Amino acid sequence: MDGLVQLFGYSGFANVTPGHLLMILVGMVFIYLAIRYEYQPILLVPIGFGILIGNTPFIEHGGMALGIYQDGSVLNYLYQGVLKGIFPPLIFLGIGAMTDFSPLISNPKLILLGAAAQFGIFMTYLGAISLGFTNPESASIGIIGGADGPTAIFLSSRLAPHLIGSIAIAAYTYMALVPLIQPPIMRLLTTQKERRIKMKPPRSVTKIEKVMFPVFGLLLTGFIAPGSLPLLGMLFLGNLLKESMVTKRLADTAKNAMIDIVTIILGVTIGASTQATTFLTHSSVLIFILGATAFMFSTAGGILFAKFMNLFLSAENKINPLIGAAGVAAVPESARVVQLEGLKADPDNHLLMHAMAPNVAGIIGSAVAAGIMMSFLL
Amino acid sequence: MISIIQYFPVNLSAIQSQHMVLAVTGYSVVILAFFLLALLFSVIPKILSWNVRRTFKDEGDETKKALAGNMIPGEVSAAIGMAISLYLDELHDQETAILTIRKVGKSYSPWNSKIYNVINFKGFQG
Repeated sequence: MDGLVQLFGYSGFANVTPGHLLMILVGMVFIYLAIRYEYQPILLVPIGFGILIGNTPFIEHGGMALGIYQDGSVLNYLYQGVLKGIFPPLIFLGIGAMTDFSPLISNPKLILLGAAAQFGIFMTYLGAISLGFTNPESASIGIIGGADGPTAIFLSSRLAPHLIGSIAIAAYTYMALVPLIQPPIMRLLTTQKERRIKMKPPRSVTKIEKVMFPVFGLLLTGFIAPGSLPLLGMLFLGNLLKESMVTKRLADTAKNAMIDIVTIILGVTIGASTQATTFLTHSSVLIFILGATAFMFSTAGGILFAKFMNLFLSAENKINPLIGAAGVAAVPESARVVQLEGLKADPDNHLLMHAMAPNVAGIIGSAVAAGIMMSFLL
Repeated sequence: MISIIQYFPVNLSAIQSQHMVLAVTGYSVVILAFFLLALLFSVIPKILSWNVRRTFKDEGDETKKALAGNMIPGEVSAAIGMAISLYLDELHDQETAILTIRKVGKSYSPWNSKIYNVINFKGFQG
């Protein structure tokens, strides 16, 4: 009889709390959004399932070493890749091998939109300070505005490891919700006439330019913000593997098998790190609110900067300000949103290729912003 | 309403000069870095095409105009790409046609007979 009582004591039924049930519900919502609406399924399915794993209740002091925060547990070992900032650079290697920088090289002035859209990072940093977060915590929260999950994880692993779970979940949630967050801001800040602006088709880009871009891009950004080297070094290496055309096998591995493996482990461990006992706090709620604000400011920053650039451009070189919204690094979701919004204004106006330029620039921009934050705060 | 404000205690006086410096400098440095990158990649195509332009400097106005911006328009690239693709596809069809002519094997066996060959031939067709 004692054995049965002990067995029950170790079971989830004896250890469940309302927090666990709430987080299990959140995990199920993530999985539902991913499967039903295909909102970033590659990320939300592992994260959602990770939330279920992390919030299946168990006796935490039973010596079984099960939880992600318990030394010696399997999940804890996998989580080291997040805590030590190992996974984000590996994901950047894969992203680099997948990304075509041609739209950006063909029209270099659009790079500036990727920089302008980092506005939300710095505004949210100030917002977090005003809400009582410390300097490093505020910087880690602000980086959510870059709309780049790996960068957010990387920076918070360096500056505020105790907030990684909340920050990563907020970043990935809002990245998945880009189609809902961005369009109202885009319509609010642009006129119908501006949304109809047709841009010149991009010119073709030579191979030598494509090869030079990762080399010079790394040197320039690395010299200015060395803190971003682990991320941008791998991003540009991946891109060079792709564009050089002589390392096809390496590029294929980086953009397929490797990034898939890392994404699965990263997603599951980030999800599992949301154990109700450590995740459901006042700070997490504030981080979610600040994250949403960061996204909105970043979107607005990109759009307004595009309008500002139009003041100096000739009529035939005008930029459709909608593409400024793609300056956040949610690739390619925000570029798709721009394309759809452009089509609503004018069914013949295809902005996807133009929007990809600030979109890929946003990846670099958020990493540079993270590097600058690290230079200031470490 | 009061309870919401208590839950989100915004204190703007917590933002000190050092925080403003980080925010303004940080954003400015990101813009500056990207401005330099944009500048660099505006100049690189011109440098790369300098030799080509020199080679063709005696060509007609149209060539000069086309080379002035160092660019082949997207439509021209697409047309060239389509032409190459069609040409290669055509070759592939011919090649496939030749390769699909298979030799029908009629190997001899001690049990070789008319019925054996009929079955074997049917198998190939099926």
